[in-house]
Amino acid sequence: MHLVQRRKLDIFIEGHALPRVEHMLGEAGFKGWSVFEGVEGSGAHGGWRQTGIGESAAFLVIAIGSVEACDTALDWLADYFRTYPGVVAVSDVSVMRAERF
Amino acid sequence: MLETAWSAASANLLAPAILFFVLGAFAGWAKSDLSVPDQVAKILALYLMMAIGFKGGVEANASGFTAEFARAGGFGLAFSFLAPFAAFAVLRFVCRIERITAAATAAHYGSVSVVTFAAGSEYLRSIGVEFSGHMAAVLALMETPAILAALLIVGSNGRAPGARFQPALWREVLLNGAALLLTGSFVIGLITGEAGMARIGGFVSGALFQGVLCLFLLDMGVIAARRLAETRTLRLVHVMFATAWPLLSAMFALFAAKVLGLSLGDATLLAVLSGSASYIAVPAAIRMALPKADAGVYLPMSLAMTFPFNLVIGIPLYHAAAQWIIG
Repeated sequence: MHLVQRRKLDIFIEGHALPRVEHMLGEAGFKGWSVFEGVEGSGAHGGWRQTGIGESAAFLVIAIGSVEACDTALDWLADYFRTYPGVVAVSDVSVMRAERF
Repeated sequence: MLETAWSAASANLLAPAILFFVLGAFAGWAKSDLSVPDQVAKILALYLMMAIGFKGGVEANASGFTAEFARAGGFGLAFSFLAPFAAFAVLRFVCRIERITAAATAAHYGSVSVVTFAAGSEYLRSIGVEFSGHMAAVLALMETPAILAALLIVGSNGRAPGARFQPALWREVLLNGAALLLTGSFVIGLITGEAGMARIGGFVSGALFQGVLCLFLLDMGVIAARRLAETRTLRLVHVMFATAWPLLSAMFALFAAKVLGLSLGDATLLAVLSGSASYIAVPAAIRMALPKADAGVYLPMSLAMTFPFNLVIGIPLYHAAAQWIIG
């Protein structure tokens, strides 16, 4: 089994930021990513919950790519998080089918 | 007047919609697992906005563009834009709320609640008081000016970078789903008139509308109670503002309605709109434009305090006051 080292970003953001973050990931060189909608959770400001009446929930964007793409994305996110809520976690991962990342 | 208000309040408290709201609030308070699935709640909200807009448009089609509409709409626009400045002064200097959060909260109180409007309309229908269809258009006009006022109050220092001219923000402010559906449905009702009503009248009014409103309010009761239970940062001054400000706004609107020569029903709805606070359209825009504002303050105030207050006490009280002022 052939595995290749790549870097993974787990980005938690508010709903309104999703189009901008997805655009940024494409520009940074990621070939793909996945978006998951949060239902409820708890953060630095206490609990939050998707209410179903239009209040935006938190979204998790998972992106796996090269070190260079991750560094470009992290620079953008560092600037973004100076203004808006959100967090990002970075980890090294082993992937199959390296050409897809 | 007090006797009339008490009698109206008693009748309101026994309406199915209010009792379902109370049931939801009890379920939320008691930590019951009762809940309306998120996607269903969104469909219910979409339905209510579509029905309110469409019915308003059909009625406006029948009555035509009247001077009364122009006066009510003009007041609504001006109130929605100017009220946040007064609310901000009280929140900042009386309630001692931090500047950006005070501006964000003020925006919520300048804007309006669609569901409070729906409950107010149903209350008037239940007691046989007529009102104009164009009040749904006044509702749509009052949705967004308060957001612009909040941006002006805060100035460039507290806004997100580029918030004033950020296309995404303007899209959120002007084309948010709630405002677009409400306005669009009103226009469709205006175009199709009675012919349109003959086709889908059974879908947007009567028992179906009442039932959906009950189900939506059940969900709102659960959400409001849970939101209140999770609130950590609210103080007594927040509670006082959330209940006293709607009263002041509603009274101001009623005296303005008297000057403008509005009917009893329209005056009551104008008071309901002025006394209500947004919890759908404005929070979404504020998250984008004023990200440093504390959602733990403005959301519980508008959703968990002002909304239930208006629903249970405010609506019949505003109508009783309207009878006294308008005659």
